[in-house]
Amino acid sequence: MYSVEADNLIKRYGSSEALRGVSFRVSEGEIFGIIGPDGAGKTSIFRILTTLILPDGGSARVLGLDVVQDYHGIRRRVGYMPGRFSLYQDLSVEENLRFFATLFGTTIEENYDLVKDIYSYLEPFRKRKAGALSGGMKQKLALSCALIHKPDVLFLDEPTTGVDPVSRKEFWTMLRRLREQGLSIVVSTPYMDEATLCDRIALIRKGIFLDTDTPADIISKFTLPLLAVSGPHMPSLLRDIRLIPQVFSCFAFGDTHHVVMRPGELSLEAQINFLNTALHAKGHSGLSIKPIRPNVEDCYMYLDTLEEHS
Amino acid sequence: MGRMKDFKRFMSFVGKEFNHILRDTRTLMVLIVMPVVMIVLFGFALSTEIKDVKVAVYDPSRDAATSRLISQIDASEYFTVTAFIDSEEGVLEAFRSNSADIALVFEDNFYHRAVHDSDGRLQVIVDGSNTNIGSMAVFYVSSIVSSFQKELAQEAALNQAAAGGSSSSAEAVPSVQIHTSTRMMYNPQMKSAFNFVPGVMGMILMLVCAMMTSVSIVREKERGTMEVLLVSPVKPFSVILAKAIPYFVVSAFILLTVLCLSVFLIKVPISGSLMWVVLVSLLFILVSLSIGILISTLVAKQEVAILISGMVLMLPTMLLSGMLFPIESMPKVLQWISWCVPAKWYIDSIKVMMIQGLGIRYCLDAVLILCGFLTVITGLSVFKFKDRL
Amino acid sequence: MSRGENTRKRIRELLGYADDGFLREDEVIRTEGLTKCFGDFTAVDHISFSVNKGEIFGFLGANGAGKTTAMKMLCGLSKPTGGRAVVAGYDLHFNSDVKRLKKVIGYMSQKFSLYENLRVWENIRLFGGIYGMKDRDIAEKTDELLQRLDLTEQRNRMVRDLPLGWKQKLAFSVAIFHEPRIVFLDEPTGGVDPATRRGFWEMIYDAAERGITVFVTTHYMDEAEYCNRVSIMVDGRIEALDSPAALKQRYGASGMDEVFRMLAGRAKREE
Repeated sequence: MYSVEADNLIKRYGSSEALRGVSFRVSEGEIFGIIGPDGAGKTSIFRILTTLILPDGGSARVLGLDVVQDYHGIRRRVGYMPGRFSLYQDLSVEENLRFFATLFGTTIEENYDLVKDIYSYLEPFRKRKAGALSGGMKQKLALSCALIHKPDVLFLDEPTTGVDPVSRKEFWTMLRRLREQGLSIVVSTPYMDEATLCDRIALIRKGIFLDTDTPADIISKFTLPLLAVSGPHMPSLLRDIRLIPQVFSCFAFGDTHHVVMRPGELSLEAQINFLNTALHAKGHSGLSIKPIRPNVEDCYMYLDTLEEHS
Repeated sequence: MGRMKDFKRFMSFVGKEFNHILRDTRTLMVLIVMPVVMIVLFGFALSTEIKDVKVAVYDPSRDAATSRLISQIDASEYFTVTAFIDSEEGVLEAFRSNSADIALVFEDNFYHRAVHDSDGRLQVIVDGSNTNIGSMAVFYVSSIVSSFQKELAQEAALNQAAAGGSSSSAEAVPSVQIHTSTRMMYNPQMKSAFNFVPGVMGMILMLVCAMMTSVSIVREKERGTMEVLLVSPVKPFSVILAKAIPYFVVSAFILLTVLCLSVFLIKVPISGSLMWVVLVSLLFILVSLSIGILISTLVAKQEVAILISGMVLMLPTMLLSGMLFPIESMPKVLQWISWCVPAKWYIDSIKVMMIQGLGIRYCLDAVLILCGFLTVITGLSVFKFKDRL
Repeated sequence: MSRGENTRKRIRELLGYADDGFLREDEVIRTEGLTKCFGDFTAVDHISFSVNKGEIFGFLGANGAGKTTAMKMLCGLSKPTGGRAVVAGYDLHFNSDVKRLKKVIGYMSQKFSLYENLRVWENIRLFGGIYGMKDRDIAEKTDELLQRLDLTEQRNRMVRDLPLGWKQKLAFSVAIFHEPRIVFLDEPTGGVDPATRRGFWEMIYDAAERGITVFVTTHYMDEAEYCNRVSIMVDGRIEALDSPAALKQRYGASGMDEVFRMLAGRAKREE
């Protein structure tokens, strides 16, 4: 049985379409990532699945229950962490957790082992007001509160946005530990580097999924050669690469530029030589051009560019 | 077991709301201090005002009784007799020229009528444009008159004993009666300074209940906590009910404070039944809470909630409830609008009970209308309440 | 030299802060022992560093490490409780300097940058006006800017109706509209799609080439690689400061995220 099934979800706000037919399945004990920028429709998906809004088209089931008909049943069994920090800032860490436990008719003590890992970080500050916590801590508290009633599915809408890389890493470790306990997790993020931490991902853009698959399979579908180019003067290098007509796309990527050439007869070797010559002609020297394996971000941008052109 | 759990859940909600309120000390202080300041300021203003009230006298009978009463009134610290006038019409002139604040008008042959016919008539005419003096002056005049009445009665009894000697049970102590009637000039609906007290009560209760409740519910929408609450098994309406309870308690506390201050500090004579005053106030608190809840179901931003409860509720409450301006002298359209202002009915009924000292049955219509408001508004907000975003 | 300038110099001399060459010729920011305490909590703990002219300087750190506090001080929004800092030639110690400082810096954050309910051109005019630009200059530069951003046809649109990516580009352009010496960017690229994020960085490169120093905070570690130099703050102190390549080499890491985790993972201060 699937934990979450969504079929052709459509959501409109006035004349703008937030979701334009989104379908996916999440299996039990899976971390499913929805990856895409702000305004792509991630939050609408979460709100439909947590029964907060009604879809304008399509259908969805969570734990086999319909999101429109059986919303009471769903609300009892899911944990939800909305996009912004949604705890009571004027209540203490402990009061927040206790309140959410009572809300679901349970106690902290009853389910303590479930949140122990996460809450142990917070224990020293349990008398502190939630509003006075820093980003990473707030996020851990919100996760504890979403978990305290032992949900079967966890919906996390951008839990790591604005959180520093160290706390983000910790957070993902926690999620993977929760998955081992059999929890299904649907999580969204604008950080592409987090995609590989999910079991399966969907790349979302303007209300439609560009692709849905395991991160490895998404990457393996990227069949064009990808070249990493670096040199002494990166900004002008970027501009000059873009001016070469045979280049399909070029993006700055950390300390290298990632270049995709237009598909043609040229072999990988020939592409590298061609690029080298072309850039030398523009006065660049000391270049390093190497083929590399693409990452999820490369795939997103490639699919994004294709979509833009079509 | 389920019910026990539900109750526990509900109580934890109520506890959380109390925490929110008690931790926001600044708002809480404003809520409690504001009515106190208003009442105290008013109390001081009032107590300095009622001294040396200028009295004009029209005394056609000029007998022993009238001159004694007049000198007693003149002797009191509250009054100074400033003018004797020759006709009833002179009263108007005295008020106009500001040479008198109140006028005493005796009837002809006052002594005789009081002692023998038990029907001495004295009219106290008050210059209603000077609202601060109004009912206090009447109150003091009446008390002087009634003690004078006792004096007369005792004297009459002594006279009788001295004259007849054989006083049998058939001839009882003559009943001396002075009937004091009051008339307001310029301000016929008895708008007195005390009216301020019900006005303040109506305004404060409306403010605390409607504004604070709606803002606190809308705040949860804005902060995103409402989202989490909705995605939980808790019944959304109990979330809102739990919000109303602490504000009900706070309002009841404020009500108590205002009542105590009015009675003990500025000595508003609660002449009617205290129980009914409190009960009707609690009813009004419920109406205000339901308005707050209704607002919260309609808006999504705190500022909008404040604006609506501030502009759409407070202004009509102040202007159209009769607190500041007499409704009777407003254009018909405004009068009709004023009927839609719950505070008007509340203030009306509190005036009747507190100041005029009449029983609940004299303001039953207003109370019933408040009940109607409560039913309709609560019904509307239940109807408007969504358990989705 | 204006009269105000002279008075300023006098005061500095009297207080022992003459233009003493604290800020070197090629530098635009220099701090020494810069500290900010809130009660007994030291948010920024004696940081000393310098930023060169025309440099893209990455200012990294975990949540709560003191980044925001330090940045606020450098922008003149918050007064240091200790140490010395000179930004664009103005000493943060002097209130009169801080006032002048604000005219020569630009600021953009993810949270606040533009007025959503004003039109595109109204936003540009507003910020130009705030920084005391002449109306004619504003009009001239507005056209040029809109052309460069390809927003000419959108000039009358409300900012709230623009896609997020455009908003961010516009916000950045507005922040450097008055040709500031330094622009402070506080997590400028949060939530935008990867292609737009890169387009944004290309604008940053352009600005740096025009001589505007860029001081930027980010949580995207690949963006740290675009910087000439980065500093990593841990527990209120600067733990490391160097070019990304040198840092990676020093810590034997393959990417900046690894460097960051090694350093920030050592944090002892909770919150």
